[in-house]
Amino acid sequence: MNAPLDLLRTRLGEAAPWLKDQDAEIAADRRRLAVAFPQLPRKVARSQLGGGLTALGKALCDLDGWRRCDAAAALLLLQCKVTDAELVDLYAHGDLEERAMLLRSLAVLPITAGSCSLLLEVQRTNMVLHLEAAICDSDLLARTSAAKLPNFGSSDVDRLMLKVAFLDLPLRRVFSAEQLANIELSRMLQDLATEREAAGRPVWRDTDRMLARAPVPGTIARLLGGLEHGDDGRRLAAAEALLVLNRPELRAFAAERLPREPRPEIRAILQRLPG
Amino acid sequence: MLIFEPHIHMYSRITDDYERMALAGIRAVLEPAFWLGQNRTNVGSFVDYFDTLIGWERFRSQQFGIHHFCTMGLNPREANDDRVNDAVMEILPRYLEKDSVLGVGEIGLDDQTPKEEKYLLAQLLLAKKHDLPVLIHTPHRDKKKGFLRCIDMVKESGVPMHRVLLDHGNEETIKITRETGCWQGFSIYPNTKMDPHRMVQIVLEYGVERVIINSAADWGVSDPLMVPRTATRLEQAGVARERIEQLVWKNPLGFFAQSGRIDEAALLRPANSNLRETFEGNSVLRGQDPDRV
Repeated sequence: MNAPLDLLRTRLGEAAPWLKDQDAEIAADRRRLAVAFPQLPRKVARSQLGGGLTALGKALCDLDGWRRCDAAAALLLLQCKVTDAELVDLYAHGDLEERAMLLRSLAVLPITAGSCSLLLEVQRTNMVLHLEAAICDSDLLARTSAAKLPNFGSSDVDRLMLKVAFLDLPLRRVFSAEQLANIELSRMLQDLATEREAAGRPVWRDTDRMLARAPVPGTIARLLGGLEHGDDGRRLAAAEALLVLNRPELRAFAAERLPREPRPEIRAILQRLPG
Repeated sequence: MLIFEPHIHMYSRITDDYERMALAGIRAVLEPAFWLGQNRTNVGSFVDYFDTLIGWERFRSQQFGIHHFCTMGLNPREANDDRVNDAVMEILPRYLEKDSVLGVGEIGLDDQTPKEEKYLLAQLLLAKKHDLPVLIHTPHRDKKKGFLRCIDMVKESGVPMHRVLLDHGNEETIKITRETGCWQGFSIYPNTKMDPHRMVQIVLEYGVERVIINSAADWGVSDPLMVPRTATRLEQAGVARERIEQLVWKNPLGFFAQSGRIDEAALLRPANSNLRETFEGNSVLRGQDPDRV
């Protein structure tokens, strides 16, 4: 009994028999995998899979971010027990869409040196579609970090999170990302924010939320300044960050802001600050 | 008027071309795999080139709102090269299943050697197996004989004529091809092959049924705006807009839609042009702020 396999088969319904046939062909000739994989969008469709937050074995995925062909890719690769060499080959010679399907499938595949090498490649390539497919809407990055494989260290995790900030992806879509906070990552994020601000360019809105989990020199001043920012989203992030920071001596600054804060959700957070 | 440019080698063009093409109404391009100006010495060079056609070049095109498709094949010049010919045939099946690959091509004859014929026939059979239309490059020298030989080989292969586009035609070849049922391609060049004025005369004499025009622009003296230029000349010559639209949009779309891989509704919108995206570490913007471009 393999829970992800069964769940994906059920969700794919009438496409599952075709995928089973492909599995038989791949078993007879592994080269068929490279021919079957590009056909998935045409054979299984690109429509949204749906289903919301779902546990697929050890993985937690938001299937609202998946398409049917993504699920088919995951099922095909699980069924045939794709090897690391095959995984890397499919990525290297896949088109943009194939790569996205493959990267989304990583959430339910075993964490291996091969899957780590694809995450490293995504970090290098800088493509939003692929970064989203690889690490958004699942807890893959947190689980991969915890696996501590030799070719995927903490600096690799930091660089991927920095890329999330660089490409302005929402933190909430990288499940369990708060576990990845550390001093070095905070330094990188804070430096990026400062550089962007100096250039008059937009700053990643979740910067403060990550900084609060591993503050570095300058973080507290940054968060307090954020309470006075003209942008509602920035003030909300600063308030949430101060709540995470849990420093009673900062309560007075929040109390000073409270009567002037127009947004009720931000006021509610400020009232919850310790002190 | 929307334009489908059905034969252009964007691999050898610059981003200014993409921008001007988009401004001139070109909504989709098809890039046939071709000879790069010098022979490749190993199959790895083909693999990298094919990956570029389905990856980087498609991404580059989309950034200017232009949908990018391609055909895959072993070109006739390198069919003569034993360093690569068999190995390319081995890797083709994988690429012929890619979603943006709408046909087998450009294949065909150039020097009209026995080896060219061997690999042309083999690729016609591959097209049947993968249920794809075929784009055939015809010789620039001894053209009439080459056209006749290509037609004979298509018949021999069993590929239906309506799934074949015989490209690089001229005033002589249309007399041969118009009755065969195949599609007839004309590459409009500044000086050679075919020019806008001659193309107007051909349309006035033969009409636009199963006729396709392209720029075949590449690394040589060529012009990626030759299709819109010719469309303008046709209108000035009194050809009805509906017929011009058939020539530059409906005909190429109709031919390549035989692949079953074109979402025609999607082509009515510009391709995704998110300028923030970069590909494999390269950004066309080179660090510019996309909001200020």
